[in-house]
Amino acid sequence: MNFTSFQKILLSSIVVVAGSGLLGYAVYESNQKLLDSKEWVHHSERVLYQTSYILLLGKDIESSSRGFVITNDSTFLEPLHRAEKVVFDSIARLRQFTSDNPRQFRRMDSLKYYTQMLLSLSHRQVQGKDSTVFLARSDVASQGRLYTDKLREITTAIQREEALLLLERIVANEKRIAVFNRFWIAMVGLMALLMILLLIVTGNYWRQNEEKVKRAAELSIANIELDFQNREKEKRADELLLANQELIVQNKEKEKRAAELIVANQELAFQNNEKEKRAAELIVANHELAFQNKEKENRAAELKIANTELVFQNGEKEKRSDELGIANHELAFQNKEKEKRAAELKIANTELVFQNGEKGKRADELGIANLELAFQNKEKEKRAAELDIANQELIFQNGEKGKRADELGIANLELAFQNKEKEKRAAELDIANKELTFQNGEKEKRANELGVANQELAFQNEEKEKRASELLLVNKELEAFAYVSSHDMQEPLRKIRTFATRILETENENLSEKGKDYLDRMQKSANRMQQLINDLLAFSRLNVAERKFELTDLNKIVEDVKAELKESIDDKNAVIESIRLCKVNIIPFQFHQLMYNLISNALKFSKKGEAPHIIIKSEIKRGAVFSAEEPTVPAGKLVAGTMYCCVSVSDNGIGFSPQYKDLVFEVFQKLHSREEYAGTGIGLAIVKKIVENHKGFITVASALTKGARFTIYFPVANDPARAVAPHRVNLRRPIDTKDVTS
Amino acid sequence: MKRESMHLLLADDDRDDSLFFEEALAELPVATQLTTVRDGEGLMKWLRANAEALPQVLFLDLNIPLKNGQDCLLEIKQSKELEHLIVVIITTSFEQGMIDLLYKNGAQFYIRKPSNFAQLKNVILRVLSAVEEEISADAQGHYPQTARDRFVLSNEI
Repeated sequence: MNFTSFQKILLSSIVVVAGSGLLGYAVYESNQKLLDSKEWVHHSERVLYQTSYILLLGKDIESSSRGFVITNDSTFLEPLHRAEKVVFDSIARLRQFTSDNPRQFRRMDSLKYYTQMLLSLSHRQVQGKDSTVFLARSDVASQGRLYTDKLREITTAIQREEALLLLERIVANEKRIAVFNRFWIAMVGLMALLMILLLIVTGNYWRQNEEKVKRAAELSIANIELDFQNREKEKRADELLLANQELIVQNKEKEKRAAELIVANQELAFQNNEKEKRAAELIVANHELAFQNKEKENRAAELKIANTELVFQNGEKEKRSDELGIANHELAFQNKEKEKRAAELKIANTELVFQNGEKGKRADELGIANLELAFQNKEKEKRAAELDIANQELIFQNGEKGKRADELGIANLELAFQNKEKEKRAAELDIANKELTFQNGEKEKRANELGVANQELAFQNEEKEKRASELLLVNKELEAFAYVSSHDMQEPLRKIRTFATRILETENENLSEKGKDYLDRMQKSANRMQQLINDLLAFSRLNVAERKFELTDLNKIVEDVKAELKESIDDKNAVIESIRLCKVNIIPFQFHQLMYNLISNALKFSKKGEAPHIIIKSEIKRGAVFSAEEPTVPAGKLVAGTMYCCVSVSDNGIGFSPQYKDLVFEVFQKLHSREEYAGTGIGLAIVKKIVENHKGFITVASALTKGARFTIYFPVANDPARAVAPHRVNLRRPIDTKDVTS
Repeated sequence: MKRESMHLLLADDDRDDSLFFEEALAELPVATQLTTVRDGEGLMKWLRANAEALPQVLFLDLNIPLKNGQDCLLEIKQSKELEHLIVVIITTSFEQGMIDLLYKNGAQFYIRKPSNFAQLKNVILRVLSAVEEEISADAQGHYPQTARDRFVLSNEI
């Protein structure tokens, strides 16, 4: 059964209160008993006192009567009288005290009897003095003594009895007190224990309450914090929601703009079509006009005789019609120009939609085109005005003609009708011009929008350029660091080597064989380090050195390299074949290094006991052709329409497992130990870098013991000039990359 | 025309290289007298003080303190009284652009400091014999410059 703390406290309290009540009752009870026993003691004392008093009174009676008899002095009788007065009261009182005890009660009767006897004896003695003086005094005296002895006996018995009773009661009382004491101590102990328990339980309860209060306070603080955080989160969420909504609105706006642009383009296309139609209509109208003019000329010829005066006027009309013809042709020409412009604008607009980079330029072109259109519109307006004037002149001339020849009335009416038609056309042109003006305004708006977009693009391009230039700077710094550090490392190394040669030369006889051997090994290590530094230097210089492309004959480069490697070629009886080597635009000294590294590699990794056979080939073809012919070319590396030069160096050497075909081009990667094949592991890395400097790439095909074929591809100009590059003697010692490795 | 003793001037701040140079000269079968300066300023000061009796050859290290070898070469070749001094560059660096520039600025030979004592002796000897036998002053006392293809002296023996 589980009690809560509070229930425990309540229970303990009830037990303590009940125990206290019980204890109190026990104390009360024992006190009552003590009071009773005290009462008993008091009672016994009173009995003892009364008995003693009665005995004393008896003695007083006996002695006073005897004294009086002897002395006859009445003063001796005073005690007798006094005793007489009180003795029976005392006996009555004593009887009252001992009424609970029948034995004592009986003794009271004896006591009373003997007292009365003594009294009557005394009275007799006193009276006898008067009359019976002669009564034998001795008898009386013995009689008195007898009575008093009796009295003493009785009182002694009473007193003994009373003392015994008292003793019994005291013993019983002491027993009770001892029992009560034990009970009381046990009860007090129990109470104390209960109180302590209660205190502990209450203390725990208080402590738990305090903890709970603390926890509650902490929880409330935590709740407030959570509340605050929740509110913050809600705010964030609201902000995000707002931002999302804005983004959505912006996206919609952008979509609207795009849709508007598309609609505007469609409108422009439609309007251009309309303009074309109008132009076609104008051409038809012009043809009609021309035809009508000819008719008029015919009529004028018929009327020539009657209207000789009108001949001149007709000549004038002809001139006017010619002018109109010219004007119409011009209009036709302008319309064609417009069509062209419209077509150009159409192309420009579609290009604008797709090519942001081109937008700025197109926008400018559009601006110019718009200006031209505006200018042409003005021209058209001028022409329309001129036509208007010409029409008015014709009306005037027709009026003249009406006066002069009624026969021309019909012709004039026709002309008037034609003029009205022309006016209509002029009005239509006016409307068309207005439309064009409106369209020009729209186009300017679009151009402005494009301008803003272009500025943004320009800003982004600037940022990109900044990043790129920063990267370039960092790269240059790194390269310069590599160059400088390897350069400076040469100096101490060179001295070590020189000192070693000095010691071997000058101290030769002082050195033990072991010492010489050590020095020799030291020399070799230093030489190797020199080679490493040289190669690293060459590698880093590929970035630093300027890259000047020259049209160079590959035959020349191969011949130079062969001359440099002559010793090694002769040693190994190597055959080097060059097939169809062409002239290409390359960086000559880098390409020299490239060929040197590839050929020296082929020589170095030749099979023992087999003369090296090295074949160097080159071809220039389209990327698509190489991709189709060469399965080793990685997909996507060659651009189909670009011309590439492909140079391959193949050998019959030891080759290597195809799994290493990428590893061999990495710096410091070697497939053989230095003891087997010397080298620093940089040679092919240099080759790869040189090929990359020519915007090309290198591949290798090989298998163990099957030789290796290194193939490089790099783009060349589509129409390589066939002129021979200026002959240039290479004075530089080739950088020692006999490495190869790889 | 053999002289009794060739007077040579070496401008190099590196004590080890100076020592090699001295020892190499001592072992050559040519009588020489060597003066050494340690920096560019010191070199120019020495040359101006001894303009009347210039040495036959100046071996000039490019990397010397206070004023570097290139600047010294330019100053020498632009000075009327010093322009005829034969200057042989002897340096650790090997850089095509730098070599072209030095040739253009009128240096006579270019030596890349060898890392082998025998090679050092050999290359010094080749310079000295060239100076003794091949280069002779024209009527105006000018020494013709070495052909470009012989400007860089190989260390190969």
